[in-house]
Amino acid sequence: MEGNVILLLPVVCPVLAGVLVLAGKVFRKDRKSLMGVSLAVLVLEAGLTAWALTSGGSLLVWRLTEQMDISFHVDEISRLFAALTAAVWLLVGIYSVAYMSHEEEEHRFFGYYLIVAGVLMGLNFSANLITMYVFFELMTLTSLPLVLHERSRAAVMAGLKYLFYSVAGAFLALFGIFFVAGTADTLIFAAGGVLNDSMIAGKEGLLLASALCMIVGFGAKAGMLPLHGWLPTAHPVAPACASAVLSGLITKAGVLAVIRVVYFIVGPDRLRGTWVQNTWILLALMTVFMGSMLAYKEPVLKKRLAYSTVSQVSYVMFGLSLLSPVGLVGALSHVVFHSVIKHTLFLVAGAIIVTTGWTRVEQMRGLGRVMPVTLGCYTAASLALIGIPPFSGFVSKWYLATGALSSGTGLWAWAGPAVLLVSALLTAGYLLPLTIQGFFPGHDFKSEEIEKRKLAGKEPSLWMLVPIGILAAGTLLFGCFPDYLLSVVQSTAAAVL
Amino acid sequence: MSGWEIMVPGICGMGLHLKMDGFRMVYTAIAVLMWGVAGAFSREYMAHYKNKSRYYVFFWATFLATVGVFLSADLYTTFIFFEIMSFTSYVWVAFDEKAESLQAAETYLAVAVIGGMVMLMGLFLLYGVLGTLDMDKVGPAAKAVLAGRETFENGRAIQAAGGFASPKVQLYVAGGLMLFGFGAKAGCFPLHIWLPKAHPVAPAPASALLSGILTKAGVFGIIIVSCVMFGNDGAWGLLIAGLGLITMFLGALLAVFSVNLKRTLACSSVSQIGFIMTGIGMSCLLSWAGEGNLLAVRGAFLHMVNHSLIKLVLFLCAGAVYMNLHQLDLNDVRGFGRGKPELCFCFLMGALGIGGIPLWNGYVSKTLLHESIVEYAHLLEEGVLAGEEGAGIISTVPAALLPVLTDPAVWKAAEWVFLFTGGMTVAYMVKLFVALFVDKHPVRQAEFDEMSSHYMKPLSRLVLVGAAVILPALGMMPHVTMDRIADLGQGFFGGTGHAHVIAFFSPVNLKGGLISIGIGLVLYAAVIRQFLMRPETGAVGTEAEASGGDKKAGVRGRCYVNRWPSWLDLENLVYRPVLQVFMAVASVVCRALDHMTDGAVVLLRKTVYRQLPEPKAHLEGNWLAHLLGGIVDGFGLLWEKVSGKSGDGQVRVSAVHHFIEREKQMKHMGMLVEQSFSFGLILFCIGLCLTLGYLLFVFIR
Repeated sequence: MEGNVILLLPVVCPVLAGVLVLAGKVFRKDRKSLMGVSLAVLVLEAGLTAWALTSGGSLLVWRLTEQMDISFHVDEISRLFAALTAAVWLLVGIYSVAYMSHEEEEHRFFGYYLIVAGVLMGLNFSANLITMYVFFELMTLTSLPLVLHERSRAAVMAGLKYLFYSVAGAFLALFGIFFVAGTADTLIFAAGGVLNDSMIAGKEGLLLASALCMIVGFGAKAGMLPLHGWLPTAHPVAPACASAVLSGLITKAGVLAVIRVVYFIVGPDRLRGTWVQNTWILLALMTVFMGSMLAYKEPVLKKRLAYSTVSQVSYVMFGLSLLSPVGLVGALSHVVFHSVIKHTLFLVAGAIIVTTGWTRVEQMRGLGRVMPVTLGCYTAASLALIGIPPFSGFVSKWYLATGALSSGTGLWAWAGPAVLLVSALLTAGYLLPLTIQGFFPGHDFKSEEIEKRKLAGKEPSLWMLVPIGILAAGTLLFGCFPDYLLSVVQSTAAAVL
Repeated sequence: MSGWEIMVPGICGMGLHLKMDGFRMVYTAIAVLMWGVAGAFSREYMAHYKNKSRYYVFFWATFLATVGVFLSADLYTTFIFFEIMSFTSYVWVAFDEKAESLQAAETYLAVAVIGGMVMLMGLFLLYGVLGTLDMDKVGPAAKAVLAGRETFENGRAIQAAGGFASPKVQLYVAGGLMLFGFGAKAGCFPLHIWLPKAHPVAPAPASALLSGILTKAGVFGIIIVSCVMFGNDGAWGLLIAGLGLITMFLGALLAVFSVNLKRTLACSSVSQIGFIMTGIGMSCLLSWAGEGNLLAVRGAFLHMVNHSLIKLVLFLCAGAVYMNLHQLDLNDVRGFGRGKPELCFCFLMGALGIGGIPLWNGYVSKTLLHESIVEYAHLLEEGVLAGEEGAGIISTVPAALLPVLTDPAVWKAAEWVFLFTGGMTVAYMVKLFVALFVDKHPVRQAEFDEMSSHYMKPLSRLVLVGAAVILPALGMMPHVTMDRIADLGQGFFGGTGHAHVIAFFSPVNLKGGLISIGIGLVLYAAVIRQFLMRPETGAVGTEAEASGGDKKAGVRGRCYVNRWPSWLDLENLVYRPVLQVFMAVASVVCRALDHMTDGAVVLLRKTVYRQLPEPKAHLEGNWLAHLLGGIVDGFGLLWEKVSGKSGDGQVRVSAVHHFIEREKQMKHMGMLVEQSFSFGLILFCIGLCLTLGYLLFVFIR
């Protein structure tokens, strides 16, 4: 082990804590100690991540063979993803304290929740393709219990589907990795790619095919066509806090993997203008439209949000597929914005379920009388997701679209922004009805259910409301003052391209 | 007029850029005035509503956003405030949560969101080709693109974003998309659908603002696109002027047919926006033809100002009616204004203003607009476009448009459309005035008269009369007031040429106004009184007689009928079906895409990967029992069918079980036998016997 050992801490600490929580009998019986330990570890995790990010550097953890090693490194991309992960993980953790009190076997949820945090951190810090692949698979396996949590038949089937899609995607990517490993001098990430021209000579076609395999394969986690199917199945059955992180962060792990593969291994120059880029753009745009359309047709709120994730993460994929600096800025900022927005929305969906038990949108008429503050947060996040200024989604959409127009991709330069805007219209169509029916149920609206169950004015507990409020404020503040984030992202994009 | 400029970098990515100049100052002042008046009026109007705080929050939020739109100095800032304005004003429309309000709000939101997104697409394309959204820089850059030059003034090469279409095409597409977005808010045909729905249901102060100034935010955008970007483009001017003429005519037609007080005013707004757009279009055309466009520019700007002020007064008058009666149908509010001089005065000022009656403000701006059309037709007759110079101008537009652009007869026709629409304006305002202040309600007139003392509180009365007095004050001294306002605003439109003092009350100019008034009175007498009203019959009349009301009114009374065919509604006839078909097709396609992978997995499972069938439950008994049982069952069934007996209502037990029973018994017996000692002895015996028999057989042989 050589290098900056601090990098290991945010990876190992939560994993150990998670194992402890899973194994320790005391945590099954004593809720307070479970929550105390979990929250303490999450706070510690945030601190350790901050420490690791500021100290930077790299760390060789374990040398498997001469060429293959497990090693960590901190660069701009990992800074962005790690900071986002640590912050959001903590907020969702706080929310889970209240949410999971309605579920059984909390220790199992929190145990795996902590473990996944460590694994994600390992993924964010990984310095080469081998490390990334290892942590990618680990992430699939350790996040599976979050999906399975309820152990109903639906949950188990959804978990299997999640496993199938993730593993299928990873194996598809593995094919690409095998090819790339044979044509690269090293698999350590380096901006602009690491392939060796002389080794590829004569195998360009195969290289492109394997690049597409990696994009589609890792794209499975990001919910890109054709391997998006797990999202709408897994999200509704998982607890809301699990679906929130699945949707807001685990999908972003897929995005991270694609960024690493395209921009750090294969190199954007090799893909620009090829059929691979065109296919990628096409897949991303189809996903954007399809996700929105199906979300529009979906009556169950959580499933609707899942389809929305399918659509929105492909906004990011579209930005990446442009292979242009402005597009990359749009994509990276949308990673952050979408993560914050989608966490808000899923946490609100969870709060609605806990407080009222309503899952379908048409049940939620008059919700503004039950939980006006929560619904206000939902509205802010919705407007942000549609891309209404001054909320955050607008900023990333602006960069995505102008990036597309300046990317020189021919027809895509126009088609891309057009699809994004049509999708934004559909987004308005599937998110705003809840706000409208919630706040404007009609002047003669009288719900017996609300009266009978004394729901009026019954906001969720502060444990839930505060994280929701912070995230919702984030959707607005990131939109009004995106300067800092944009400068970070722009320097990242400049470093990468 | 020099003003200030503020740049706030970093907000929302590209930063905000605000600026103050003559035009912006006028409109900020109007916004402050209108919100002040409407806010004061709201105190009484909203007194009995719940959720008042919700109303006021969004009321003032919209104020800030609207001022932001008018102060914006680049289109990015415009868009940001424009979207905020659209969403905050949504609450106004949906405010009272009645079914029709919610439906109107849905339409309003749909138009606003779609318009916003289309506009955003236009901004993307514009930014893509010009590289700037600053209003001062957009104009020269667009001129360079339209002139087909290779580079901008700063030396940057002109390229179409994506290299997919030529820069010129991209600029036109961008302009068209932005026009769509701004036009949707302005109420331009064919996107005017939200106005007649949203205005009647919103609270009156809110409708006054929606109509008076929110639509002007859309017009503001149209001005930027038309006057700044396509300032001297003939084809664009024709598009705007054409849309303007259609909008003004159809809006007025709808207003004539309408029987709802606020709806009439809303349709009137659509029509007046058409007047303004015609002026904007004429300013493009005049400067395309190489002439000064000041007439059109000043006309359009003054009409914006006038319309804002007039609609404020008229909608607040309607609000005064509504807050007393909670009704807006002309038949229900007939005669409410009788014996209420302040209300009558205010409404009359507004009606005279918007009708274009000399000495009121609307006359001044309409005269200017009329003159601009006349001047263009006159230029064509003079042959400005005929000579060599003209050939250069003509070559800048597609040949297909030339017959329309250069034929004086077309513009003579346009002039008549203009005058006729002015006539319709007079007609529907007379209709409203007569309904409110001349007609008598067959039943409730006494009740209405009794309200005369307390129908408005002093504060509302004061602000309403104050707002109404402005209108004649502007109109009677046009050179002191309106000319100065126009001087402030014309720079923003890029007005060129020298401003000469126009004798508004000269016989030539009065002629146009008087023709319109004449047409209006004829229309009122011939069409509205004859065709759109019918003698009172039915429930209301009999009720009047039964209650011993004013019999004379009951006999004489004529009520208003809605003769507009209900199916003729652009939204329900075209937009909704088109949207539904699109959604249906798209959802089927998307559903198929969604299930593509799952389907492939299922297919593979069924074909390549043969899943073994789960082991079946072990069968009892052996095959013989099943075979025999089956045969017996078959015979049994056959017997029943042949004999017609149905087993006497008992459930027939399958013979298989019977045989299985027997077999089990046999097995059991066999087991007992096999295990017994006697069985062994018997076997031994049989063996001995067989051996003996064999020995005997061999021995005898």
